[in-house]
Amino acid sequence: MAPGSKAGWRLDEKITFASERDMPPLAVSLGTMLVNKTGTWRYMRPVYEDKTPPCNHACPAGEKIQGYLELSKAGEFGRAWELIMEDNPLPSVCGRVCYHPCEQACNRSNFDEPLAIHHVERFLGDYGLRKNLKVKREAARSERVAVVGAGPAGLSCAYHLARKGYAVTIYEAQPVAGGMLAVGIPRYRLPRDILEKEIANICSLGVEIKTGIRMGLDIALDDLSGHQAVFIATGQHQSTRLDIPGQEARGVIYGLDLLRDLNLGRSVEMGRRVAVIGGGNTAMDAARSAVRRGAEVTVVYRRSREEMPAIPEEIQEAEEEGIQFLFLSAPKRVLVKNAAVGGLECLKMRLGEPDKSGRRRPIPVDGTEFGLDVDTIIGAIGQEADLSFLPSGIALDRGGIQVDEHGVTARPGTFSGGDVATGAGTVTAAIGSGKKAALAIHSYLSGERMEEAFEPQVVAYEEINLDYFEPAARQAMPRRQITERLGGFVEVNLGYTEAATLTEAQRCFSCGVCNHCDTCWLFCPDVAIAKLDHRDYLINYDYCKGCGVCVEECPRSAISMEEEMRWKK
Amino acid sequence: MEKVIIGNYAVSYGAQLARVQVIAAYPITPQTQIVEKLAEMCASGELNARFIPVESEHSAMASTIGAAATGARAFTATSSQGLALMHEMIHWAAASRLPIVMANVNRALGPGWSIWADQNDSLSQRDTGWLQFYCESNQEVLDTVLQGYRIAEQVMLPVMINLDGFLLSHTSEPVDIPDQALVDRYLPLARRDLILDPDDPHSFGGLVNPEHYMEMRYKMHQAQLQSKEVAREADAQFKAIFGRSYGSIEGYRLEGAELALVTSGTIASTSRVAVDRLREQGEKVGLLKIRMFRPFPGEEVGELLGGFKKVAVIDRNISFGHGGIFCQELKSALYNLLKRPQVYGYIAGLGGRDVTPQTILDIAELTACRDVPPAEADWIGVKV
Repeated sequence: MAPGSKAGWRLDEKITFASERDMPPLAVSLGTMLVNKTGTWRYMRPVYEDKTPPCNHACPAGEKIQGYLELSKAGEFGRAWELIMEDNPLPSVCGRVCYHPCEQACNRSNFDEPLAIHHVERFLGDYGLRKNLKVKREAARSERVAVVGAGPAGLSCAYHLARKGYAVTIYEAQPVAGGMLAVGIPRYRLPRDILEKEIANICSLGVEIKTGIRMGLDIALDDLSGHQAVFIATGQHQSTRLDIPGQEARGVIYGLDLLRDLNLGRSVEMGRRVAVIGGGNTAMDAARSAVRRGAEVTVVYRRSREEMPAIPEEIQEAEEEGIQFLFLSAPKRVLVKNAAVGGLECLKMRLGEPDKSGRRRPIPVDGTEFGLDVDTIIGAIGQEADLSFLPSGIALDRGGIQVDEHGVTARPGTFSGGDVATGAGTVTAAIGSGKKAALAIHSYLSGERMEEAFEPQVVAYEEINLDYFEPAARQAMPRRQITERLGGFVEVNLGYTEAATLTEAQRCFSCGVCNHCDTCWLFCPDVAIAKLDHRDYLINYDYCKGCGVCVEECPRSAISMEEEMRWKK
Repeated sequence: MEKVIIGNYAVSYGAQLARVQVIAAYPITPQTQIVEKLAEMCASGELNARFIPVESEHSAMASTIGAAATGARAFTATSSQGLALMHEMIHWAAASRLPIVMANVNRALGPGWSIWADQNDSLSQRDTGWLQFYCESNQEVLDTVLQGYRIAEQVMLPVMINLDGFLLSHTSEPVDIPDQALVDRYLPLARRDLILDPDDPHSFGGLVNPEHYMEMRYKMHQAQLQSKEVAREADAQFKAIFGRSYGSIEGYRLEGAELALVTSGTIASTSRVAVDRLREQGEKVGLLKIRMFRPFPGEEVGELLGGFKKVAVIDRNISFGHGGIFCQELKSALYNLLKRPQVYGYIAGLGGRDVTPQTILDIAELTACRDVPPAEADWIGVKV
């Protein structure tokens, strides 16, 4: 064959030779192969399909966790902060006090240790505050919305509405905004300036907070008729009574009252030997606060350590600070001496069958009474909502306001969220309920349809291609020394450095979400995957044979295989 | 510049001077240092080539084929079991008419596991369509890599360069490393036709029906035959630029000789010593070294040996059930001559057994004492 003679061949040209002598020396098609679309061999097709990472799915506030971890990997902390702020106006707060269900769900926990999402969130929240970052607000709207209660649910609802352009006023009974964040959680876990700065950010969107106005006392719910919608998020601020003989004695106090008084700088009467009754977060907060006031503290809990509802880190830190735990013990009666607490009589318990909560039910063991030499008893066995201010027309359910999944109550224009409605008892659930209600209020006021909920496809550990990952230790959270901690209410956890945040974020599998790792692009044996703008990928189905190598190799299950619809062109 | 280097490095320097663009190779004793050195050169930037680490020799040759198909100057090296594993791709490379150069360090095949010199590995690839050269010295190894590309790129057939395991691969000798500028003149890079090009896609290696398959094989055979002349020209040009030439065969002290020893590889250099000693003693003995095995230089062999009474062929290989492979080739080249010598076959040095000057002297003496060649080859020093 004469070299170079292929120039000028056309697709439709029939190639003939005068003789075999003119044929090329090797088996090569002289016509172009552009006519041969090998994609026709395919009966399955790969499609890029982001799925739901388990962390995102587990976050009650609906944070796009994988997204901000991915941005953090690249050191894009500002953009990561903006991404959190789409869902949660209080990342610095949540990065400190959230019980991080995202980490329990993290697929990495099956591999080595879960991502320290909580610590990264705190870093990003603090980064936003330090850099004085601001979120954008849409054009102002004429409708006004009232929010009752400036706790996490109320703040979240107000924030999301304000971003949509609504004028929002929050009415708060306490002298400060923040709800439980301000009067419940001790400062050593959540420094006041952090909370104040994040609230100030919300106010900078035009949200007005009127403190010291108690609903039903200073103002009635019906007085809010100048607003086109009302969101009620008054929380649960009443402690459940201990209900044992002698409970009226001086020296029997309640966890929420103690924490509120300490937080507001009021005087607190407390002895040197303290028993805290309960195993939840309020019990831990009360016990650790009492220790900081110089008391010897014993926590009395009727089940065992495994059943304690408090965040495990809180329990661990409490133990570090010298707090004693009496498990499988319940208070029987207060030993009263001169109308004051002279001791506490307890009874041993044993664990029976699991109850409705799934935890094993404590059963008293007769004849096992024993005494505790204490002068103060702090009850922390539960909390309840004050519903006395509610007008008729708002239906109730299990000690709270009845709502649907969007926070809609039985009374038109009235919405509710947070502990008073859901009783969920966590900051992040309250924030999530505030956001959901804000969307419902927007839909109610604007007539816009809410986005349909979809069934998420959550990525399981088995769907991760572990060949692409190596074990890497979780970055430790630096903590203040015990002696320094016990001297007052200084913050215990010191926060990640930028370097620790980068290292920690690198551990993220990015479950189910393409992070442009190029694996599919490199592996495609038909070179049928193109890289657009050096970032996004495009499958050329004219040449993709449907071998599935890209799907098999994808480290994070972000490509799916679909049956080819032969009748579909 | 002269350097004292092992044969394996002579291969590496040859590939570097040839400015190979893609190397895909898998390590195997005694070849490993060839690709180690090339990998180092790629890493340090001394050689601007893409080094593809692969998981097997089959993939090494497949990758080399792919690279060569795009028009790149591609190189690989292997030995023994590795070459055997490549076998399917060895055929493919030749029938794809790709100018690949591969170094093969001759090593025995297992089992019995052996890492030492033996030519059965490369001679098993005799009928694949590759050109084959057998080298005697490290200098010849380097020079043949350069000549190999020049020949391959003209006849569009791959070239295999063979060197004896350890006897050359791990033995240091002074080697002249030619100037890059001179090599570039000898071996310019040129764009080829009919290459794999995403902008102009064609199908390669597809189905060929019975009407045309034979024609393609005929053309391959013609290219092999044509390469004799191309190799001659490449050797002459090499001499003009670098001052060295090797020929497809080389006669040593054949003038007036009555017995011609015929061999290849490092046994040839040992034989030179033996021939010198015999000549000193007045024996009329000379040597013919066969450097090019494919295409087989039959006419040249006939011209040189036609007048001899006796020829003794020493093979470091065995075609089981027949005899030494060079011996068979030689016999068939001489058979149709009007006047042809007696051919005595000897098998020696399999699996790296030492072939010393005394071994050669014994072969010469044995041949001299005989009047008629035995039906079977003699196995020198075999302990049975």
